[in-house]
Amino acid sequence: MPSEAPPALLSSVKLKYVKLGYQYLVNHFLTLVLVPLIAGVALEIARRGPEELLSLWQSLQLDLIHILCSVFALVLVATVYFMSRPRPIYLVDYALFKPPFTCRVPYATFMEHIRLIGNLDAKGVDFQMRILERSGLGEETCLPPANHYIPPTPTMEASRAEAQMVIFSALDSLFERTGLKPKDVDILIVNCSLFSPTPSLSAMVVNKYKMRSNIRSFNLSGMGCSAGLISIDLARDLLQAHPNSNAVVVSTEIITPNWYAGNQRSMLLPNCLFRMGGAAILLSNRPRDSRRAKYRLLHVVRTHKGADDKAYRCVYEEEDAQGNCGISLSKDLMAIAGEALKSNITTIGPLVLPASEQLLFLFSLIARKILNRKIRPYIPDFKQAFEHFCIHAGGRAVIDELQKNLELSAEHVEASRMTLHRFGNTSSSSLWYELNYIEAKGRMRRGDRVWQIGFGSGFKCNSAVWRCNRTIKTPFEGPWSDCIHRYPVDIPDVVKL
Amino acid sequence: MEVLGTEVEPLLMLSSALLVYGLFLLWRLFEQRRNQNCYLIEYACFKPPDYRKLPTNMCGDIILRNKNLGLSELRFLLKVIVNSGIGEETYGPTTVIEGGRQCFVGTLDELFRKTGVSPREIDTLVVNVSMLAPSPSLAAMIVNHYKMREDIKVFNISGMGCSASLISIDLVQHMFKSNRKMKAVVVTSESIAPCWYPGCDKSMLLGNCLFRCGGCSILLTNDYSYRHRAKFILKCLVRTHLGANDEAFNCCMQREDDTGTLGPRILPLREIFLFSVRKYLQKLKGSKDVQAEGTPRVNFKAGVDHFCIHTGGAAVIEGIGRSMGLNQYDLEPAWMTLHRFGNTSAGSLWYVLGYMEGKRRLKKKDRVMMLSFGAGFKCNSCMWEVNRDLENPGVWEDCIDKYPLQDLTNPFMEMYGWIHDEEAIVNYVKEHPEYADIAAKRAPATARSS
Repeated sequence: MPSEAPPALLSSVKLKYVKLGYQYLVNHFLTLVLVPLIAGVALEIARRGPEELLSLWQSLQLDLIHILCSVFALVLVATVYFMSRPRPIYLVDYALFKPPFTCRVPYATFMEHIRLIGNLDAKGVDFQMRILERSGLGEETCLPPANHYIPPTPTMEASRAEAQMVIFSALDSLFERTGLKPKDVDILIVNCSLFSPTPSLSAMVVNKYKMRSNIRSFNLSGMGCSAGLISIDLARDLLQAHPNSNAVVVSTEIITPNWYAGNQRSMLLPNCLFRMGGAAILLSNRPRDSRRAKYRLLHVVRTHKGADDKAYRCVYEEEDAQGNCGISLSKDLMAIAGEALKSNITTIGPLVLPASEQLLFLFSLIARKILNRKIRPYIPDFKQAFEHFCIHAGGRAVIDELQKNLELSAEHVEASRMTLHRFGNTSSSSLWYELNYIEAKGRMRRGDRVWQIGFGSGFKCNSAVWRCNRTIKTPFEGPWSDCIHRYPVDIPDVVKL
Repeated sequence: MEVLGTEVEPLLMLSSALLVYGLFLLWRLFEQRRNQNCYLIEYACFKPPDYRKLPTNMCGDIILRNKNLGLSELRFLLKVIVNSGIGEETYGPTTVIEGGRQCFVGTLDELFRKTGVSPREIDTLVVNVSMLAPSPSLAAMIVNHYKMREDIKVFNISGMGCSASLISIDLVQHMFKSNRKMKAVVVTSESIAPCWYPGCDKSMLLGNCLFRCGGCSILLTNDYSYRHRAKFILKCLVRTHLGANDEAFNCCMQREDDTGTLGPRILPLREIFLFSVRKYLQKLKGSKDVQAEGTPRVNFKAGVDHFCIHTGGAAVIEGIGRSMGLNQYDLEPAWMTLHRFGNTSAGSLWYVLGYMEGKRRLKKKDRVMMLSFGAGFKCNSCMWEVNRDLENPGVWEDCIDKYPLQDLTNPFMEMYGWIHDEEAIVNYVKEHPEYADIAAKRAPATARSS
């Protein structure tokens, strides 16, 4: 009713302005205090006139020694300050694997395979179909060639072939875009959770590109979907110890050996969600890369909930009663993810939130402690701290849960939802596909801050905060280049199959 | 301006404030530099329970049980084992995860007990097991078992072969350089069970014969206040990756054989080792004119007192000894470790170190060089300086007095030498009818459809 709307609207508008005013006051406190002070001093100087100022200067009785000592002290302090600051880490560029069209798995193909492989009974097939309908995946996600066979042929050779296809393609693209020669790579980190051959995937990369023999290579495995940010953290620590170096991080998940051939329900979900994908990222601490770098790394925060038994067991690789190996997901996954996120936020909040939000949080904490325990805990508004959010596209439920917990709008989680739709859950590389989506949409401006949140088995929640170094122009090449104009699409809650 | 009744110039105040701040920054920088050393406080090697020992007759039984093996394979295996330098007291695997847990929990409990450090004080955990990488990782398993802190930094390294132990130390060393005071635990082990090869390709059977169970947990810190308690200080660490050379890359690879059975293929290692050692020595001393035959002109023994060599096998130890000009005394710890524990992959270096400690060879200011090789092909080495006189035999406690053994031959030739003689085979089978098919001189299994 029009007559009822205005009072509510007015009050909400008033509240909005009050909130805005409060934020502006607290965040720019220093400016608001200093500006009148400087203005006052300037007025005073103007009033006194130049001769009086000169006599004031002479009365200070400065001689050469004083001035030299002061200048020396200033220079010393400045030097030591700059020396003790940690080196800035730049993300020069990154490249993503674009799966070939021939590897597509539309809904019909997937369901046909499930029926023909024959290890599921009718109820199992039905269950699998219902998962697919609600999964949020589209028709263009891809599985590796070995999984297109009926039954799938997960040999070691096929797994290596997939690894080579994904990793080499991403690296070729990265070397071409950045102009980096493989011989100039100083640090190489490869993370792939579920496939760990001997020699390692990092050795495979060194062999293919004939990299230097004093390269520092690391191969991380078994660390789940958040391993990409663990690799970034490791690269950061390594780059702090080595000046003038660069690091290549390869994040991927190899699907071939991990098809679950049994019929236990808690293990069927990964078959439905995991898809091919990979990313190669170039990080550097060289001052000359600061111009052309896309992003600068501000923070990496890692949270490990493994001490809690339920959290440890919620994503668990084991054999079912028939001896088929698969990853079982427990029913408390969402609750545990929420807990892990809370812990992560507690650490990252003070680092990134503006003063206004931190004060509010502090007040609400005091209020809860002193006044009334029933007051709802204040959830800081992270939209103040970040312009873009990249939430690991682990599944529709994860994105929904985080959107609710962080009170994000549909536009903030659009990148995650569209990545899940177009590429599926590509594990540790999904964050990079999401970042690429935001860039492809032309939304990335210089100074924008991005928050990447990854979850993974263990149970871990890792965050990385980046600041955009230069406005990214469109159009460009990348895995989204041929389909970005079709996005965003509306993803129904249930796709009827 | 008046402060405390005296005239103070504002400029003087400003300068002194700046100077104090500058001194504070300098002190912080100094503190940072001081805390960059890597101190090894303690290490604990794994000693599996006695029921996991593999004496000669048990090894023989296990091998003969494999119906896929023909006479030529059996003879090849006998030759390998007789020359392997492995004794009667090495340990075999149980089940995959349980065996791993036994190793980790056993060594970590001992480590925490010996040092008095609580698991909640650990800031970084690095686990390296080459052949096994379940989800959640083995590192997460340890965090769960010991209820470690939420902000612990965990790394699980996999697939990096027998030299992974030094790669983990390298990782920890880098973390120490860029972080404040922290304590790190490195758990190094190998999982034999999942790569037990039941097929008949000779190059893949080697793994079964040489690899044994073992592991080690190491506690490291960069906290300056631990410098008196530490056993060793890390002086330098060098890593070389020969993956660019195709032959080196392919020499130790996990793949399927003709019948589709998965196993690790290990090609004759002697040449690869010699080649890589030559290249490596070139790099270490920065000299480009090492003689073609592989004998270096530099004398390593000038700067190093003790050598911890990865016990990859008799060929490895011999090869290194020859290339670096080492004598019997230098190689003794490696030979004895190979005899007592076999090739425990990444953990072997720490057993060798334990032997030296047990024999009271390690005195303050001595320098120990650790040298290891692994699939990829990687060659890593590091130099430790002994911080105080050491005398704890650790895992060698019950048998250190028996060593060094003069005679390293094992009873395999005695017990199984009959395989070379046709008549002896027939006699053996008469006594052991369950092995009747050996007498049928079965041919190697042909390729089967998978």
